[in-house]
Amino acid sequence: MDVNVVYNTPYEMPLGYWIATYFYLTGLSAGSFVISVLSTLGGKTEFKPLGRIGALMAPILLVLAPSTLIVDLEQPLRFWHLFLYLNPKSPITYGSFLLTAYPINGIIYAYYLFTGRDKLAKRLGIIGIPLAIATHGYTGFILALGKGRALWSTALMPTLFIVSAMVSGFAMMIVLAAIRNKYFYGKMNPEQREADKTLICQLGTYLAFAILFDLFLVFNDILVLLTSTEEALRVAKLILFGDFSLEFVFVELIIGGLVPLVILLSPKFNKALGNTVFASLLTLLGVYSMRVVVVIAGQSLPLH
Amino acid sequence: MAETKEKKTPRYAMVIDLRRCIGCHSCSVACKSENDVPLSVFRSWVKIIEKGQYPNVSRSFLPSLCNNCEKPICVQNCPTQASYQREDGIVMVDPHRCIACKYCIASCPYDVRFVNPIKRIVQKCYFCEHRVDQGIAPACVVTCLGHARIFGNIKDPDSEISKLLATNPVQVLKPDMATKPHVFYIAADLEVMDPMKGRE
Repeated sequence: MDVNVVYNTPYEMPLGYWIATYFYLTGLSAGSFVISVLSTLGGKTEFKPLGRIGALMAPILLVLAPSTLIVDLEQPLRFWHLFLYLNPKSPITYGSFLLTAYPINGIIYAYYLFTGRDKLAKRLGIIGIPLAIATHGYTGFILALGKGRALWSTALMPTLFIVSAMVSGFAMMIVLAAIRNKYFYGKMNPEQREADKTLICQLGTYLAFAILFDLFLVFNDILVLLTSTEEALRVAKLILFGDFSLEFVFVELIIGGLVPLVILLSPKFNKALGNTVFASLLTLLGVYSMRVVVVIAGQSLPLH
Repeated sequence: MAETKEKKTPRYAMVIDLRRCIGCHSCSVACKSENDVPLSVFRSWVKIIEKGQYPNVSRSFLPSLCNNCEKPICVQNCPTQASYQREDGIVMVDPHRCIACKYCIASCPYDVRFVNPIKRIVQKCYFCEHRVDQGIAPACVVTCLGHARIFGNIKDPDSEISKLLATNPVQVLKPDMATKPHVFYIAADLEVMDPMKGRE
């Protein structure tokens, strides 16, 4: 049947790049915090520097992240309403408290770690891991409870967000560890240089597995979208072949997923530090693209 | 006692009888004027489509407004309780409490909410609650010249709206969203209710 829309009101997107950036920053923070704690708990001395980098980055990013949220409010000076008039049913409310508790925990953890009180740091780290995961997982719930949008309202969303947080966090740690390696290269003895390089390449292997898991989840998500409701099919077509195919297929899946995976897993490339760093940078780009696709493509289909 | 109180509290709803709608947009204009709705945003509007091929063609209208759902996802997701539901079912936004995080707009399956570009808070159709509280029907209902809009208390079996609901096949928008919309349509066309039709 031929259908022409003669008159309708304009359709606008309520959430934009600020929100996508917020999801990206919390993801980076959660990922780097988890690596930091794992390397502190692991007890191996060669992992120590990673613990410190992660401990530093997590709170810094988590101070930046909520500021993007406040900038996005149309009434930024009313942000305190989130605490005073909280609605326990809203996922944003979980966020208000997590975004307060998690950075505070992270700052104390970093303080203990840098002052050498490892036992206390470990304890706070153990409290911090669920906090870090929840801080990123709740953002998945925010989208999952937006039930009008087919791309968002899937039970997979929190898991997808946590896994992609680990991907971006691991990638950022590799880049930072490589910068540290470059900076301190002159001061290290050959043995330390070798250990540092092995450490970064080992992180690369972890990154590869995280990417693999992430791609698996995305594959599941797309497969179900293609065979469920009409809206789901439309949004799947939009990101696979429509306006967002460049961001989704090319940047997120190929540049940010498959290419780094090949680099990190093939024995030919993954021995060189430069390649691992290159793969990590591509991954960081890919995860940002994922945030943009989820937030913006998710709202791109008109609802009336 | 509980039963009498139950009976006393009304549940407001609207029926839009599309057999009577002529697509004149009077409701949209009345709403703009009554509620001081700024340019570029709408609390109530009429979507119009044309379908078919000459000479077998027709026009369909879909007067749209907030469904004031029984289970409003916007109220559940609002982090500051600025969105709330009155006992009579009308979903409200407290203008002093709203921080305009826009999560309700993103959650609403019907896209009936907007940010007021002047006041910078979220607004939508409240069934003209200021009029309803005075015992007058909403502006769009009073102005509708074909009497296509019928507003009233669905808990009262003798009200015009209850009678219409009981004696006509009715439908709501996106019933699969489990929001239980309270704007009911008589003779709404499938194509006009589909947001994507005519846009592909």
